[in-house]
Amino acid sequence: MFQIRLFHEYFKQYMKTRLAYRWDFLAQFLTNFLFQAVNLVFILVVFGHTSDLNGWNQYEVIAIYGYFLIPWSIFSAFFNLWDFNEKYIIKGELDRVLTRPVHSLLQIIMETMTPESLIGVFTGVLVMGYGIYHLDLTWTLLDFFFLVLFSIGGVLVYGGIYTILTSISLYTDSKTDIQPIIFNVSTYGRYPINIYHRFIQIALTWVLPFAFVGFYPASYLLDKQEWFWYAMATPLVGIVYLGLGVFTWNQGIKRYRGAGN
Amino acid sequence: MLSIKAESLTKEFKVFQSRPGLKGAFRDLFNRQYRVIRAVDAIDLSVNQGEMVGYIGENGAGKSTTIKMLTGILQPTSGQLLVNGYDPHGQREQFVRTIGVVFGQRSQLWWDIAVQESFRLLQKVYRIPEQDFKPYLDRMIEVLNISPLLDQPVRKLSLGQRMRCELAAALIHQPALLFLDEPTIGLDVLVKENIRQFLKEINKEFGTTILLTTHDLADIEALCSRVVMLDKGKIIYDGGLQRLRNEWGDGKKIHIETVDTYTLSQLQAQTEGMKVHWIEEGPMRFTAILENGNAKVPEVISRIVEHVAVQEIQIEEASTEEIVRKIYQEGLVHA
Repeated sequence: MFQIRLFHEYFKQYMKTRLAYRWDFLAQFLTNFLFQAVNLVFILVVFGHTSDLNGWNQYEVIAIYGYFLIPWSIFSAFFNLWDFNEKYIIKGELDRVLTRPVHSLLQIIMETMTPESLIGVFTGVLVMGYGIYHLDLTWTLLDFFFLVLFSIGGVLVYGGIYTILTSISLYTDSKTDIQPIIFNVSTYGRYPINIYHRFIQIALTWVLPFAFVGFYPASYLLDKQEWFWYAMATPLVGIVYLGLGVFTWNQGIKRYRGAGN
Repeated sequence: MLSIKAESLTKEFKVFQSRPGLKGAFRDLFNRQYRVIRAVDAIDLSVNQGEMVGYIGENGAGKSTTIKMLTGILQPTSGQLLVNGYDPHGQREQFVRTIGVVFGQRSQLWWDIAVQESFRLLQKVYRIPEQDFKPYLDRMIEVLNISPLLDQPVRKLSLGQRMRCELAAALIHQPALLFLDEPTIGLDVLVKENIRQFLKEINKEFGTTILLTTHDLADIEALCSRVVMLDKGKIIYDGGLQRLRNEWGDGKKIHIETVDTYTLSQLQAQTEGMKVHWIEEGPMRFTAILENGNAKVPEVISRIVEHVAVQEIQIEEASTEEIVRKIYQEGLVHA
């Protein structure tokens, strides 16, 4: 497929430029790794004080966190739209993008990707494996299939929400600070949802469905039947939100006003 | 065939108007005031395949907005627009394969990667088969003389070097229509000349339609047979450069230095019956001002040299730059 081949070309170019700055590349790896380690330490500290988090034991919480890292890392490797407003709207790079025969969102994803974040997938599998190892669960082949399917679904949920948020810049030329706020909310998805207030549970399921990125699929993989249908809905929620994201984006491109002249 | 066909093409922008002062800012929070600006106001424009058209106007006249509509970046507010047979914004992805774009103030290439890598990536983006790509690109590289630059990242190039690479990049997919927005801005004379020469060749060889905006009217004089002038979102002139000169330029002047002394009336007698106004600039120095379109330079000169011993002759013509400045200052009253 043309899009995938093009992705590959951009990826090769990206690696070429990254490898030109060797130390920077290595540092990026290390900071990514450290960032995830700090989060893990936080979980361990919490369980240093209590052995039980609303019915969830330490290894279950660790496994959920490990699972969450998988879609999250894939997402952060390909949706680096943080400085979209600055770089593409204010500096006018979007004009260039729009004169090329490839969908504009796809081009921007390809131009801003940071594949080194994918190291988090590896970390996630390790952390999750460590949790599951202590939990006495039997994993079938089907579970591995669902792991992959749910991860893809989770990436789509994240990608969809961020595309909607990024599209805001296309509708208004004033700067919005909503992204960091949402980003904070997004990390809520990596803990068991029933530890939160009811209101937050609803929000994380129906409004900003970050629970579908971490908790719901992970609970299925930990053999909790309570959220079975939520877990199964993950790919669907992903498709719906990505669809919304692309729709918002396309509408935004129609209203794009161009960089200042 | 028409490259560009625009009918009453219009673009409006809604601009937020802030009230003055802190109190005003507070009121803006609840009740915003907008003003509608017509950046491009119902313009009609037809450009034939193979034409080279200069698109000029002051800052804010609507040039960039027009270009952005023609290239599919912006959606027109109203009006009909067909470029290379496509609706530029609606059919963007198919349409942009048929155009090349160079924005002088903004790079079209990837900043961090070597020029040849940019070219390779563009080859993939435009899906150009290798057997078409290689010979054509080699030709560009040769004509634009950029082979020593190919392995440099774009950010290390000088402006002139970058611009030559930009041109190659914009033409890589052999577009039928090329948009150039200020292609020679900030370049030195020699590079400007090279680029103009190159554009002429491209136009001649491939029949590429070229639409260029520029502040440097020398670009237009060198390249374009047709000028479209824009003011406050409207086209105020569309036609040949020569006609622009004839209609707007003051008459040509002929400065004459004579060998002997003559009186003003002696000279006037020579051009009897022609619409020529004589001025005595000093001893043995005269100037003939020819009324526009009614007196021909060769005829005036031949009449003079027949009876007057002439030391030196100089012909002066208003530059395009002066003419354009005059139009902006005086507005349309002249026409």
